[in-house]
Amino acid sequence: MKISSFKWLFGRNSEFWPTNMKTGMWAWVGHRLTGLALVAYVFLHLSFISTASMAEGGADFDALMETTSQPLFVAMDFLLVIVVIYHAMNGLRVVLFDLGVGIRRQKLVFWVTMAISAVLIVGGLLAIWHLVFPEGVA
Amino acid sequence: MSEQRVATSKVAGTWAWAFQRISAVLLIVFLGVHLYAAHFMDVGAETGEEPLITFDEVSLRLDQLLYIVVDYGMLSMVLLHGLNGFRTVLFDFDMFVRRKKLIDVTLWVVGIGTLIWGIVILFPFISGAGG
Ligand code: HEM
Repeated sequence: MKISSFKWLFGRNSEFWPTNMKTGMWAWVGHRLTGLALVAYVFLHLSFISTASMAEGGADFDALMETTSQPLFVAMDFLLVIVVIYHAMNGLRVVLFDLGVGIRRQKLVFWVTMAISAVLIVGGLLAIWHLVFPEGVA
Repeated sequence: MSEQRVATSKVAGTWAWAFQRISAVLLIVFLGVHLYAAHFMDVGAETGEEPLITFDEVSLRLDQLLYIVVDYGMLSMVLLHGLNGFRTVLFDFDMFVRRKKLIDVTLWVVGIGTLIWGIVILFPFISGAGG
């Protein structure tokens, strides 16, 4: 396969070139990327949980949970929070439009769902803050 | 991309499209229940442990049939929605449209295989020390 056959995807004239994308296109690309990331995460999640069957009484599972409660891992959890909330709220927007709800006010609906996302993400950040910065921030 | 290519929605089918939307709404409900159950109800709280997920705490929770149903239901939905979505992405590319049968079979095998794996890895918790 020649590199040039991907021009429609990456080329300067492609619809995906950053300056050629409008809001709806960004929303769609974001939805697709977050969707694929979540599929990958499901497999990671299952492989973590599978440690429960490795040692009697779940010793390996507890050890792994100990590790994953370290600040670095919790910070990565926060990344997951952002990805899920964006995907869910934008998905909700897509479903509403398919049902014919809010199409006349497309722009408004987009920014309202994004505002709700932002609030939920801040809520998530507050909920895990003490795990990322156990000693508090000086 | 060739001009005469068939629209992805045609390749993927109306059912796949409808299902993606139905599962999406169900997933929002599952996600709400999941987050509430795992992080706010805090079944193991009376053991006075750290806010850490432990084997015993999860076992305690999975003593209740409702949790088992919610967990397995959510896993099934996530796999169906995730792999169905992945299928849509694949069918945006001609090289995968040409191998539709193979892709469909592979995704079903991966999905059902992963579901069985997911069901089995909860067994230690369900039969575990919670009792
Ligand atoms: C939390 C609730 C969720 C909602 C409301 C939601 C909503 C949606 C909707 C409406 C679509 C169709 C988009 C379109 O046809 O334009 C979609 C696509 C998709 N979703 Fe979700 N989703 C959720 C969770 C998930 C999860 C957990 C995963 C991963 C396992 C996932 C993976 C995907 C993928 C891979 C696609 C295909 C992306 C594309 O076609 O560009 N979604 N989602």
